[in-house]
Amino acid sequence: MMAMLVLLAFLQVKVPDAAQIIGPPAGTPVTGAQLERRTMEISSELRCPVCQGLAIGDSPSIMAANMKAQVRELLERGYTETQILSYFEKSYGQFVLLKPKFQGVNALVWILPIAALAIGFLLVMSKAKKLESAPAKASLPEEPADDPYLAQVREMVDKQ
Amino acid sequence: MNKTVLIIGVIIVAVVIFVLFAGLGKDPAIIDSPLIGKPAPPFALKAVGSGETIDLTALRGKPVVLNFWATWCGPCYEEHPTLVANARNLPNVQFVGVVFNDEEDKIMRFLAQRGTAYPTLLDTNGKTAIAYGVGGVPETYFINPAGTIVAKYAGPLSTEELQANLAKALQ
Repeated sequence: MMAMLVLLAFLQVKVPDAAQIIGPPAGTPVTGAQLERRTMEISSELRCPVCQGLAIGDSPSIMAANMKAQVRELLERGYTETQILSYFEKSYGQFVLLKPKFQGVNALVWILPIAALAIGFLLVMSKAKKLESAPAKASLPEEPADDPYLAQVREMVDKQ
Repeated sequence: MNKTVLIIGVIIVAVVIFVLFAGLGKDPAIIDSPLIGKPAPPFALKAVGSGETIDLTALRGKPVVLNFWATWCGPCYEEHPTLVANARNLPNVQFVGVVFNDEEDKIMRFLAQRGTAYPTLLDTNGKTAIAYGVGGVPETYFINPAGTIVAKYAGPLSTEELQANLAKALQ
């Protein structure tokens, strides 16, 4: 009777379910060694909200352990990686994703390094071109127009 | 070319300064919640002490102050008297405490020593906290009578902060 009451009390407890947030699983349930591997892979993509830039897979905090357990459970239920990341994003926002999405201001994280490389490349190329043309000019120095010695030589040549 | 490089440099420095100023002006403990304006994730959890199950959906019609805390959290000790005093003064507002990663006997001792005026529920595996995007404790969510989250506050609340956020739930 007591066991029945305990079970009844347990059954009455209801926590927010992933199905209400991200719908039914879109993949197939994962088990065994693959479950451990996939849990670690997905845990390395999620930021621990109570740590400084640590993934939940690397954090010893209780919060991270809870989140990791949630990742494992969702994989066991057949949720895909995209669905699991979306589940955490819906409650924590994009902050929880260690790899930011290519959208909005976050797109700058992807665009700026490429833009910086491109600008750097163009600068190097333009400098290289200048250096290439510099020795050619050096070999043919411009004659000063008002050199008296040169004028004297020209006069002598003209006389001959 | 030098002029172009200078202009590009000035633009980059201006953007960096703007981003730094915008970021430094913010409280790093406060993270915008994507749940604001969304329905509060439903749950039904067991109350510490009484064992009664409290269902969030059954509280519709009243504004709810949902406070996540734990006995191992220092700032929660500081915040507790504010919550209890306001819960006593505001009978039309439902205060609910959710404790995660904690032990029931420790919670009961805490409440016996410091008093309580509202149910404290046990989130044993932290799933409710995760669904609400709880980063650390204490964190408080303000839910309007229709069941929509209208505000989130990270850190210990003062009466002024509590009432300012509660006003959003009463609009």
